[in-house]
Amino acid sequence: MAANKVSLANLADLKNASDDAIANYLNSLSFKQSHTMTDVRLAIGYGAFVIAAAAGGWDYYFGFENTKLYTAIAVAVYTLLQGALAFWISFVEHGTVYQGQAPNGGQKITIASFNAKKHEPLYKLKVTTQPASGGKPETIELERSFTEWFDESGLFVAAPFQRFLASSIPVVGRADPKRVKSESRDLLEGDSDLLDAVMSAEAETTGADKKSGGKKRKV
Amino acid sequence: MHNSLNRLQSVFGFFTTVAFTLGCLIALTDLWAERTPSGVIKATNTQVVKGRPHYYSSKKEEYAIIKFSLDADLSSLFTWNTKQLFVYVTAEWPAPEAGMNATNEAVIWDSIITNPSADHLVNLGPIGKKKLKASAGGKSIAPERGLLKLKNQKPKYQISHPSGKIASAEDVTLKVHYNVQPWFGLLTWNTQSDIGRWKSFAGGVSDQFSLPAVKVKDDKKKP
Amino acid sequence: MLSALGNPRQAAAQVLNFALVLSTAFMMWKGLSVVADSPSPIVVVLSGSMEPAFQRGDLLFLWNRNLLQETAVGEVVVYNVKDKDIPIVHRVVRKYGTGDEAKLLTKGDNNQADDTELYARGQDFLVRKDIIGSVVAYMPFVGYVTIMLSEHPWLKTVMLGIMGLFAILQRE
Repeated sequence: MAANKVSLANLADLKNASDDAIANYLNSLSFKQSHTMTDVRLAIGYGAFVIAAAAGGWDYYFGFENTKLYTAIAVAVYTLLQGALAFWISFVEHGTVYQGQAPNGGQKITIASFNAKKHEPLYKLKVTTQPASGGKPETIELERSFTEWFDESGLFVAAPFQRFLASSIPVVGRADPKRVKSESRDLLEGDSDLLDAVMSAEAETTGADKKSGGKKRKV
Repeated sequence: MHNSLNRLQSVFGFFTTVAFTLGCLIALTDLWAERTPSGVIKATNTQVVKGRPHYYSSKKEEYAIIKFSLDADLSSLFTWNTKQLFVYVTAEWPAPEAGMNATNEAVIWDSIITNPSADHLVNLGPIGKKKLKASAGGKSIAPERGLLKLKNQKPKYQISHPSGKIASAEDVTLKVHYNVQPWFGLLTWNTQSDIGRWKSFAGGVSDQFSLPAVKVKDDKKKP
Repeated sequence: MLSALGNPRQAAAQVLNFALVLSTAFMMWKGLSVVADSPSPIVVVLSGSMEPAFQRGDLLFLWNRNLLQETAVGEVVVYNVKDKDIPIVHRVVRKYGTGDEAKLLTKGDNNQADDTELYARGQDFLVRKDIIGSVVAYMPFVGYVTIMLSEHPWLKTVMLGIMGLFAILQRE
């Protein structure tokens, strides 16, 4: 996905490509992705489709008059399932693009993404984390410009995007300390684990990563 | 909104939405236009003859020929959304053989009256069409076409009955009906009662009459 | 975005989007059928026999329930004749008797003769169950595209192809 060019004029494409990159990145960090939400959506959707197909089938083979009671029921059930699907997408998923658990039984993380404004290239994330043992979920909201990780030709550049995630979301930062930008260290001061991880990572690497992300596009 | 095909799609989608909404609004204006149809109809001459339903038929059936006079004012039915007015006269008589309240009903005369906006669609020769168009005098709505004055009009259709018998039928009435064909929206017929600004047909039903016995006639003549 | 096919869930979701567009259109049609009690609640005019009221390509909305009154003389009905595929839109001009067994005769406004010739061999009249609906509403010209499609079948293939491509290439 990340290797594909997207049209810079298409906010939906920019968002989709970024969404896909989130999953790729977190999974590469050994996050365990949970597909329950997608699976429920697919089940409702395909269930509705199967009902419509069945209604089409009996209508074709037995005629309208003989089957209209069943057709009426099928239409009602289909409508209900579509309602359920709409409810699921807008209230339960509510933009969720990733659900998973940090490596080694770490925190649970849910990321929802949005196009923050209709005609501006702003990527908005709502990240909810919750300790695996239960407890109070925490939510942070982030907003960045797509221009930070798409170049002029519409090519996705992974490094700055991953740095953005690692620096802004503590649980990601812990899993990939060398992507954490030093400027954001202030944010992490309350989190001594993370700070330690970042320090030791920086000692190991020579900062080569920092230079590779220079393909920024200013608008 | 990122490529031409996409934009074309949106433009077309928007166009259809606007056109459909506009059509619905135009159709709604029908409800606002007052309808006050009225008319007087009476049968002027009736006869029943025997004839064959078609040339090769050996069976003979009775046919009723009902002449009538009609004086109707349907001008209020012509609005900007009227494409044509279909006016028809039916004869109605009881059908006791089919049940207590059963009736027979048959059209004896009809007429397509176009609004000038639809004159070009009429099935007429070039000369007839030209005349029709000229009669509108450049207007697109012609309520005066809804004024009907027919004296002792010959029926367009001679009516019969599946049993082959119609002579001496009793309690026959003639009734004037209209069907407004819109340019967009609902087709409408006579209303049973007043609906908003649409008044029910004032008059439009003849007195009851009986059909005569079969007229003895040279049956070589086709009905 | 075809690389999305590498991810089965995403592929399934994209196929689902396309499938639901089709099935929703189909179920709306069926819903309309059920409400109007007609196997074909919207028909396209195919002949000029009701001109000038209806031209080829006009769209007609049908209603097949007798809630207030029976199907009466003067109504424009769509009926099927045994062993003939094409439904016919004509006006009822005679009705003998009352109820489901009433004998109905139809005629096109633009035709000289009534429809006896169009009925099946040995059939002189229609009965109520031959009728699939009475015309209640009218929309001009919109159905012409279906006439185009049936007269130029290759257009169908092209349109389906384009629709399918759009649905697969676009996620939203």
